[in-house]
Amino acid sequence: MILGLLLSAPFLAYLAWLIWALVAYPIPLGYNLRSLWQRKLSSFSTAAAIALVVGIFVVVLSLAQGLSVAFVSSGRPDQALVLRPNARFELNSSIERDRMRILKVHPLLKRDAEGPMASAEVVVVKLFPMADGTDTNVTVRGLEARGITLRPQVRLVQGRWFRPGLSEVVVPRKMQGRFPSLELGRNLRMGGRDWQIVGTFDAGGASYESEVWSNVNDVMQAFRRESYSAMLARLESPERVEGFLKAVEDDKRLKLEVIRETDYFKELTKAGDPIKILGNLITLILTGAAIFAAMNTMYAAVAGRTKEIGTLRALGFRQREILASFQWESIFLCLTGGLLGSGLALFANGIQTGTTSFETFSDVSFAFTITPGLMAQGVAFSLVMGLLGGFLPAWRASRIPLTEAMKGG
Amino acid sequence: MRWLALIWKSLMRSKRRTLLIVGSLILSVFTVAVLQSLLTTLNAVTNNPNSSNRLVVRHKSGLTQMLPRSYEAYLRQQSEVETVCALQWFGGYYQDPRNFFANFASDETTLFQTFREEFGAAGISEAQIKDYLRDGAGCIVGESLAKKNGWKVGDVVPLTGTIFPINPRLTIRLIYKSPKPSDENVLHFHYKVLEEGVPRMKGLVGSFWVRTHRPEDIPRFIERVDRHYANSAYETLTETENAFNLAFVKMLGNIGAIIQGITAAVVVAILIVTGNTMATAIRERTTEIAVFRAMGFSAGRVLGLLLFEGVLLVGVGGCLGVLVANLAAGAVRASLGMAMPFFADFAILPDTVLACLAGAMAIGLLATFIPAYAATRRPITEGLRAVG
Repeated sequence: MILGLLLSAPFLAYLAWLIWALVAYPIPLGYNLRSLWQRKLSSFSTAAAIALVVGIFVVVLSLAQGLSVAFVSSGRPDQALVLRPNARFELNSSIERDRMRILKVHPLLKRDAEGPMASAEVVVVKLFPMADGTDTNVTVRGLEARGITLRPQVRLVQGRWFRPGLSEVVVPRKMQGRFPSLELGRNLRMGGRDWQIVGTFDAGGASYESEVWSNVNDVMQAFRRESYSAMLARLESPERVEGFLKAVEDDKRLKLEVIRETDYFKELTKAGDPIKILGNLITLILTGAAIFAAMNTMYAAVAGRTKEIGTLRALGFRQREILASFQWESIFLCLTGGLLGSGLALFANGIQTGTTSFETFSDVSFAFTITPGLMAQGVAFSLVMGLLGGFLPAWRASRIPLTEAMKGG
Repeated sequence: MRWLALIWKSLMRSKRRTLLIVGSLILSVFTVAVLQSLLTTLNAVTNNPNSSNRLVVRHKSGLTQMLPRSYEAYLRQQSEVETVCALQWFGGYYQDPRNFFANFASDETTLFQTFREEFGAAGISEAQIKDYLRDGAGCIVGESLAKKNGWKVGDVVPLTGTIFPINPRLTIRLIYKSPKPSDENVLHFHYKVLEEGVPRMKGLVGSFWVRTHRPEDIPRFIERVDRHYANSAYETLTETENAFNLAFVKMLGNIGAIIQGITAAVVVAILIVTGNTMATAIRERTTEIAVFRAMGFSAGRVLGLLLFEGVLLVGVGGCLGVLVANLAAGAVRASLGMAMPFFADFAILPDTVLACLAGAMAIGLLATFIPAYAATRRPITEGLRAVG
């Protein structure tokens, strides 16, 4: 962070000077903009190349963001997840019935009119057919009615919640596009019996949108599970989680591990790290290529206008004014590309996709969301390209000796 | 050859421009070569020629459900079957959970026969195999995995179980070599360790890996097994090893579409940038080209020279880009291979190199043609008068 600030400090200072120059000097900005227009084809092709790179940048950013949102928005700081030691993920974990009985009435849990706020849950993975005819692993979560209230971000969209004992499931609305069998009212074959889809839900982008939900006992019976996977519980306040953690881990009867819910999801987000790192590397490399291209265009623009620059100097424009004006020309060139590219990225908006967490072996759906914030980042990114790509050519333009410039062909 | 000097001179006319465009090309071709190789690596996972004889039998509901080990007897009785190996993903880690590698509890008696290609490559001695079979708490590891952790035969490896509540301490009895790097990043130990350590696993296993005598037998076998266990308490899903692996590759999502999208965008960008550069280079030489024509060079020859110049420029950039990609392949293998086991086999294959170079040449030709053609069509008198 500090290193980043140090590195960007000269950068920001230079940008500030450029903006100041815009106000303070009578720089021949209009002349520069008209020159861009004069060389329409060259300007446009450079802008188009930059637009493509910015487009890739914005799409990769949205991919990374989609992955993070799917996990991070899922947790609450005053809730904790109980797992078997070393299991790390719900899917790996198992808690026997007798231990669950002790856990569910733990004195440290928050209580309301219906008793302690805790949900015993089971998580299994089941193959589901996708729209393209192949199968993928989907998480099936069995939970108690309490489990729904413990996840306030989850909202019923259509139909109703499942009822215990009737083999009913509720599916995420977002999964329906990619999994045609998940239609409301249809039956689903799972664990040797038919399950009716009685509702659809929305979880505001959280990872629950990749899970099929049903009653915990129904799922355990169908999948012949003798033990639960995990328990989700709410405490009085976020500070109480530490105490609960210690109490459970020290309890000789339990031998279980407690993780704060937010920390659990933070750990899950790491599943997206390789994609993020790869995406960032690609954009970094392509940015280099785009900066070279912008430099080439600007050098050509400067070289072709030696005489004009000489005239400007003869008219009384100073070296730093020439520097600022040519730098602005390059920035405008790249900003045009940046705006085009951010617009281009909008085509990816809303495309539903999925990837699988290798830690939990199940599908995570998310949508490419091109937000105004991401588009602004793309435009800012093109500004940086304009600064870097234009600096050397602009510097050169400002240093051309007056006599030579007047002579120049 | 006589023209090469002339073309070289033209390219060196503006060294800075040539350098910048070559730099731009190197970075772009590098990106495309690496991305396309990621894709071919993934495709190779599902087209493994070694596994054409092998099948995987598992529970129809998914990876977390187990099958009874007694199914093995039925599978063995089928006439197509050469051998059956019960195998369970253990999912343990050594010291640090981030330190990922594949580890399995497997039937030690049939393991070597079932995965003959993977183990047989560099002659493991019978004595070493016997050592492993004799030691119930023994394990075998691939060479690259052993090297990474500094393990030798005789060392004890404590594994921490994530899926199963046991932490076995295993003695390395054998370190094997394998033709593919990904197969060397694996640890196997005796199935009994799991079955005896975890009460709920008694008599159960995650999957059976079946080796048939001939690949032609596979479809009939699949059909028969799945029908045999249909509507039983434990229904089976039988598929070829390649199909089984495909499911894991698909787990990455439509990475193929993303890679092809980026590749297309990069190709268009290079085309535009190269075209722009060549147009500038040719415009600068309007007078020069007119002089050439006036001296008696035909329009076709001038066009040929310009095209050659463009192709050479892009070709140099492409070659260097592919070269850099090759140098970086090791780094990709080490970094991505750690996160996702498939990428341990990452390599820039000759096919990808050729495709990248051919693509680059085509881009050079296409990008130069339009400005070059326009330049040679220009009347000589006009060209001579032009102020460059």
